[in-house]
Amino acid sequence: MKLPSVASRITLITVAVSLSFSLSSAAKSDGKKENQLGERVKQLSDWGSKRAVIKMNGDKYRQYIRSTPRNYSVIIMFTAMQPQRQCSVCQNVNDEFQIVANSWRYSPSYSNRLFFASVDYDEAPDVFNSLKVTAAPSIMHFPPKGKPKKGDIYDMQRLGIQAETMVKWVAERTDIQIRIFRPPNYSGTITLGVLMLMVAGFLYFRRNNLEFLYNKTMWGCAALSIVFAMTSGQMWNHIRGPPYAHRNPQTGQVSYIHGSSQGQFVAETHIIFLLHCAITVGFIMMNKNPISEGDVRKRRVLTVIGLGLVVFFFSLILSIFRAKYRGYPYSFLIR
Amino acid sequence: MAGHRGKENSGTYDVSPHQNSGVLHQSTNDVPVYAELLADSSKSKLPKTNGGGDADEGMNTVLSTGAIKGLLAFTILFLACIVAFASRLFAVIRFESIIHEFDPWFNYRSTHHLVSTSFYDFLNWFDDRAWYPLGRIVGGTVYPGLMVTSGTIHTILNTLNIPVHIRDVCVFLAPLFSGLTSLAGFALTRELWDTSAGLMAACFLAIVPGYISRSVAGSYDNEGIAIFALLFTYYFWIKAVKTGSIAWAAGTALCYFYMVSAWGGYVFIINLIPLHVCVLLLMGRYSQRIYVAFCTFFILGTLLSMQIPFVGFQPVRTSEHMAAAGTFVLLQAYAFLKYVQDYLTKQEFRSLFFFGVTGAAGTVFLGVVFLTYAGYVAPWSGRFYSLYDTGYAKIHIPIIASVSEHQPTTWASFFFDLHVLSCSFPAGLWFVIKEINDERVFIILYAMSAAYFAGVMVRLMLTLTPVVCILASICLSKTLNEYLVDDTPKKEKNDDGEEVEEETEKKNRKLYDKVGARAGKVRKIKQEPEKDSEGTGSNLRGFVVVAIMMMLMMFAIHCTWVTSNAYSSPSIVLATYSDDGSRVILDDFREAYYWLRQNTDEYARVMSWWDYGYQIAGMANRTTLVDNNTWNNSHIALVGKAMSSTEPEAYKIMKMLDVDYVLVIFGGVIGFSGDDINKFLWMVRIAEGEHPQDIRESDYFTSNGEFRVDKGGAPTLLNCLMYKMCYYRFGEVQLDFRTPSGYDRTRGVEIGNKDISFEHLEEAYTTQNWLVRIYKVKDISNKEKVATPSKKSKKKKVTSRKTSKKRRGQIKNKPQIKKGVRKAKNSSKKKSTS
Repeated sequence: MKLPSVASRITLITVAVSLSFSLSSAAKSDGKKENQLGERVKQLSDWGSKRAVIKMNGDKYRQYIRSTPRNYSVIIMFTAMQPQRQCSVCQNVNDEFQIVANSWRYSPSYSNRLFFASVDYDEAPDVFNSLKVTAAPSIMHFPPKGKPKKGDIYDMQRLGIQAETMVKWVAERTDIQIRIFRPPNYSGTITLGVLMLMVAGFLYFRRNNLEFLYNKTMWGCAALSIVFAMTSGQMWNHIRGPPYAHRNPQTGQVSYIHGSSQGQFVAETHIIFLLHCAITVGFIMMNKNPISEGDVRKRRVLTVIGLGLVVFFFSLILSIFRAKYRGYPYSFLIR
Repeated sequence: MAGHRGKENSGTYDVSPHQNSGVLHQSTNDVPVYAELLADSSKSKLPKTNGGGDADEGMNTVLSTGAIKGLLAFTILFLACIVAFASRLFAVIRFESIIHEFDPWFNYRSTHHLVSTSFYDFLNWFDDRAWYPLGRIVGGTVYPGLMVTSGTIHTILNTLNIPVHIRDVCVFLAPLFSGLTSLAGFALTRELWDTSAGLMAACFLAIVPGYISRSVAGSYDNEGIAIFALLFTYYFWIKAVKTGSIAWAAGTALCYFYMVSAWGGYVFIINLIPLHVCVLLLMGRYSQRIYVAFCTFFILGTLLSMQIPFVGFQPVRTSEHMAAAGTFVLLQAYAFLKYVQDYLTKQEFRSLFFFGVTGAAGTVFLGVVFLTYAGYVAPWSGRFYSLYDTGYAKIHIPIIASVSEHQPTTWASFFFDLHVLSCSFPAGLWFVIKEINDERVFIILYAMSAAYFAGVMVRLMLTLTPVVCILASICLSKTLNEYLVDDTPKKEKNDDGEEVEEETEKKNRKLYDKVGARAGKVRKIKQEPEKDSEGTGSNLRGFVVVAIMMMLMMFAIHCTWVTSNAYSSPSIVLATYSDDGSRVILDDFREAYYWLRQNTDEYARVMSWWDYGYQIAGMANRTTLVDNNTWNNSHIALVGKAMSSTEPEAYKIMKMLDVDYVLVIFGGVIGFSGDDINKFLWMVRIAEGEHPQDIRESDYFTSNGEFRVDKGGAPTLLNCLMYKMCYYRFGEVQLDFRTPSGYDRTRGVEIGNKDISFEHLEEAYTTQNWLVRIYKVKDISNKEKVATPSKKSKKKKVTSRKTSKKRRGQIKNKPQIKKGVRKAKNSSKKKSTS
């Protein structure tokens, strides 16, 4: 009866020892990881205190974001900011992202639970490859536990690039509320003030000779340029921000005219601006009275040029419009 | 003027030389005189006066020329009015005399209410059949001008024993008023430039697409009459500035009152007129006339505008009106200083004047700012602020940003709506600036501000259109004057007439007579210029005239095409063309609304998306939950939530809101793209805005972020109420042999959920082309609902007990059996051993 009990005890002890061993080793490794985690968090918050958006390369990415035990969320913007990439959207997204990150950085509830980082394609293409990110810019959330899921990719197409919607999304993914603080933009006010000062100064220096204020040509040009700017759709450009022109990626052809009547390129509006100018100049030339009574030739030349300008450029506008507006049946001189 | 008259004379004599030999004789005497006058006028530009100085020269000729001129002007204006009316009738001729779209249905319904009750009943009308269960105070939330106008016309016609239905009055009101608008345009342009330009402006206004877009027959909306009121107010204002008479200024205020009662765009007037006054002060063009005109207008206009219930105290409490008040104060200070001038030396006055004016301006500005901050004056409302700061609406007011009318304008839509006018009006602006005077300052400011607003918002193209017509007519009429020196005014009228003729075509016999007469004239002109070859040469002149005429004709054709193709669909009746070219009319909307009207209880409540609220109220006369007057976002969100949640969830909401019927628009059978499935994401978005816990937009997308209704679609979408109501039993239908059953033509896919059944709803009615589907919400059914679950549960419990018992039994029995076996074995052993 005793032997088995002893044996059992021994086995028990061995088991216990081995168990304790294994336990202690586990505890050790845990401690290591704990240490690592602490270090990493420290390092990250160190960087975070320097700049709101931490620049990542391939190694940093693997060390701080891929390695498993994390107690912090990371929001990474994948982007291509190199000038040769010509990514104008990236710049806009970057601006908004910076605003979000800075708002978080300087918010009273700032903690080590959330970091913002960015990865540039030209610095770490391997990161893009490993995550199968094909488009830049895109924004991804890396949760503290597990891998990024479906909702962890910020849907830029649908939500837009406003910092406000980004913050909403961040709150949805991480339960951290950030209040957007946009650095107030004084540049407009300052330019306006400087402009006013310049005008006032100019008027002051010219105070003895204010005849130019009565110059109708100057006022006329100013009024016309406002009207041209509006009728050629500059306000649309200002609000929508279209590209200057479209380059076909396959053929390399550059098209200056947008294919549909719903959109337009900046170059296109400039062309229309000039065409309107030309037509107006034509009309004005046609109505120019001869300076001297006998100057018939001059007047004839002016009339011919004016008429040519009006007719030719009007038909040009009409043909451009026809190209844009599908199914428009009429044209004039030029098809 | 003298030049004109002379030219007129010779022209008329050429046409009818045999009718009146006496006159002919006279004219031969007069010819050299007129030639001289002519030369004068061409040297010293065009005379700027209008018909004012008619009576100075040779009485005998003046009588006849004045008469001819008047007759011509009258004929042209008359034809312009007829064209304005006729070119807007495409929809009525193609379909029938019906009210279009959505908002007009509400206007029609309230007009109907006004006609069937009294004016005061209308003002106090609380509509309990909209926004159930909240209701809407209609009298206090509409601009009543439109309803009162058509109500008045209806009453007058009926007292004259002309029995016209109120619907026809409503349908034809906008075309009628566009005729009046071209008259107002004529009057305004005549004040600004001259009569010939005025006639041209009237013709342009009659057919320009930018205005037709809002005033075809059947589009019974505020803008239709507001543009007339706008131009008429401006005409009176110009008159008041010119004459400085209190009568004209009071007339301005009255027109302004009409404008306020008709359209929210009156804010444009109450800011533009003070701007005009301010700029005149800055230019040093102050005069007693301006003082009288503005003070009268401001005081009377403000008092009158406050009589409209919807406007109320806004003129003294909101920032939009503060510019006018500030200008009023400034004008008083300015006038006082001018008065003091008499008692001071020049040097003293200069310094006092400078400091006085700047001080007053500063005080006014600071005062307004202070009042705004102190809360006495409401700051700029978001709608107006978004015109100034274009990025504002995009971030802060998504409802404004989402409406397609509030998008900025591309150059293509400027060209689409204005055609040759958009190219020629800057030149007109240039000429006006070059020959500036008090009232022309106004048109310059109007042009520039309206151009800016039209650039920011497509919808405000409407305010730009009249000024474009005016300035383009100035440009073109000036050019034609230059190149038709022999026959100036008549020639202009000629090509106006030709435009007119393009439009009316065979409608008007008179026109053809006129054309004949004119053709004679034109031939004459071609011969005549040879005499004065010292000018620009007759050939060249001919070229210029022909080129301009060609462009104007193209404009007329363009206008007709645009009106016919883009702006004349009533949108409640759809037309398609079958393979053999015959036209098929789809009248599903009215079919459904009429079904509702005939087959449902009078007080039944119909739930639908807000787009169709006005139509249900107007055509079916049933109570709606939400409608196009989107004043209560949370109510709309609740309906959106019901549409986008599952049936049991939606049933709770529908019971809460007492819904009896649900109406959805489904275009999958005929390929109608404006249906509820295509609008569905907006419902989800709006619902998510108010109920973020229950509705998430991302649930309605696939993992790739696509919105699909086929098998690959998100399960939440395939089971939501809207999807089920649209596609109920659609899977059984095979529309075409080439396509599988349940093929949605709008989205071009086979639907993903063909097995749809309802628990709380039943299909009540589906129209011929499935465009409208109506479902009845069942009552809470106490009998079945209680019976089935209890039965089920009993059965379940029984079976489960049995199975559990069986299981227990087996487990229990097994050891028993084993025991038994063992016992048996033992016993057998025992037996064997023994």
